[in-house]
Amino acid sequence: MTCQELHAHLPAYVDGELGVVETLGAGAHLAECPRCHLLAEGERRFRELLRRQPRETAPAELRARILVRCRQEAQRAAIRPWVAPVLATAAAAVLIAVFAVGQPGFHSTPLAGDLVAQHIAYAQIERPAEYATADRADLEAWLRQRAGLQAPVPDYSAAGIRLVGARIAGIRGRKAAYVLYEKGHTLLSVFMLPAPDDAELAGPRVSYRGQEYFAQERKGYRTVWWTDGPAVFGLVSMLDYDALFECADRLREERARQSRL
Amino acid sequence: MVIRWGRSDDRRAEFEEVALVHLDALYRFALRLTHNRAEAQDLVQETCLRAFRSFHRFDRGSNCRAWLFTILRHAFFNRLRRAGRETPDGDPVAWESALESVTSEARAAVDPEEEFFQTVLHGDVDRALKTLPLPFREAVILVDLEGLTYKEAGEALGCPIGTVMSRLWRGRRLLRQALGRYAREHGYLGGRE
Repeated sequence: MTCQELHAHLPAYVDGELGVVETLGAGAHLAECPRCHLLAEGERRFRELLRRQPRETAPAELRARILVRCRQEAQRAAIRPWVAPVLATAAAAVLIAVFAVGQPGFHSTPLAGDLVAQHIAYAQIERPAEYATADRADLEAWLRQRAGLQAPVPDYSAAGIRLVGARIAGIRGRKAAYVLYEKGHTLLSVFMLPAPDDAELAGPRVSYRGQEYFAQERKGYRTVWWTDGPAVFGLVSMLDYDALFECADRLREERARQSRL
Repeated sequence: MVIRWGRSDDRRAEFEEVALVHLDALYRFALRLTHNRAEAQDLVQETCLRAFRSFHRFDRGSNCRAWLFTILRHAFFNRLRRAGRETPDGDPVAWESALESVTSEARAAVDPEEEFFQTVLHGDVDRALKTLPLPFREAVILVDLEGLTYKEAGEALGCPIGTVMSRLWRGRRLLRQALGRYAREHGYLGGRE
């Protein structure tokens, strides 16, 4: 390596950024050339001087402000996926729900109307879950403590349906456990409440894997519900019926498992 | 279609862990670009929010610090443009030729025996840094003051490693000359004029 070549490589040499061959070449040249050696020393000491400069830290207040803004941003981002497909049909669907509840004799089911109305209402809230957790056992404990409800929280993760959390809802004047899941951008609501009388429950009957369900669809919202002992369970979502019945089946299983314990 | 959509709490926690650990470095970089604390804070906040919004697009295997510096630079250049000023990413060729005039000064070899290193006063480096054209200043800040490798600096600056190297070389020369001048002003180096 000549002096000129060394000068070209000097910054990378002191930064340890040269390849093995160049590093060896530069080292060999420096061992022989006192002037270049002096130059390299100067370069190295200057680099150390720069690295020794005091490092100011960001004000704590800036960090706090950024965290708050990120939180706000996350909440805005969280509401968007659900609201976008829902908003277009929300007004119509709410009308149906109100109509169904308000008019005796209307052939739609009062309970299903209430469940759909709840589903739509919470799909539009920034954080639909009153208690947000993806831990099933944690959520079951919360529902037990908060509402005295022994509500099963099945695992739907194999179908890509994730647990979001839960809230306590009032459905037809009764305290209900309301568990929220999501698949992609689609919300799945699962309700459990003490069974109301038969008139409120009635609806089109469907059989799936030997079990009887009620099911109805209004404006893309599918509702599946059934009684299980003293409780009624209801699922509402824009997911297709296959997914809903599969979820219902799992829920029955989980409920049976829980009652065996 | 199933779109993966993580819970916002998870995303925020990950962002804090992966990105916000570089907040101090971002703040120092912003401070050295803007020379103004309020503006630097503003710039860092804008950078972090932009990064948070596009965090789902950030490749987890790549270098987060370089990615954040890139976002900060773009935000800073946008501000410069809005203020009607030139930016190095606008027309690189024009910048390089403009830099030529400055660097003829840098080509002059530094005196290897200069002995001002121990006498540099607090704040001198930042004062000298301000006199450097932006492309040199960026390279020196990222590599010498923040400790990025050439590769990381190349990612952050959006240029090849060779360019990082040459900017760094010229930046260091200019910086050293400026510091030498200050040392003479302070009276630590005499008899050379």
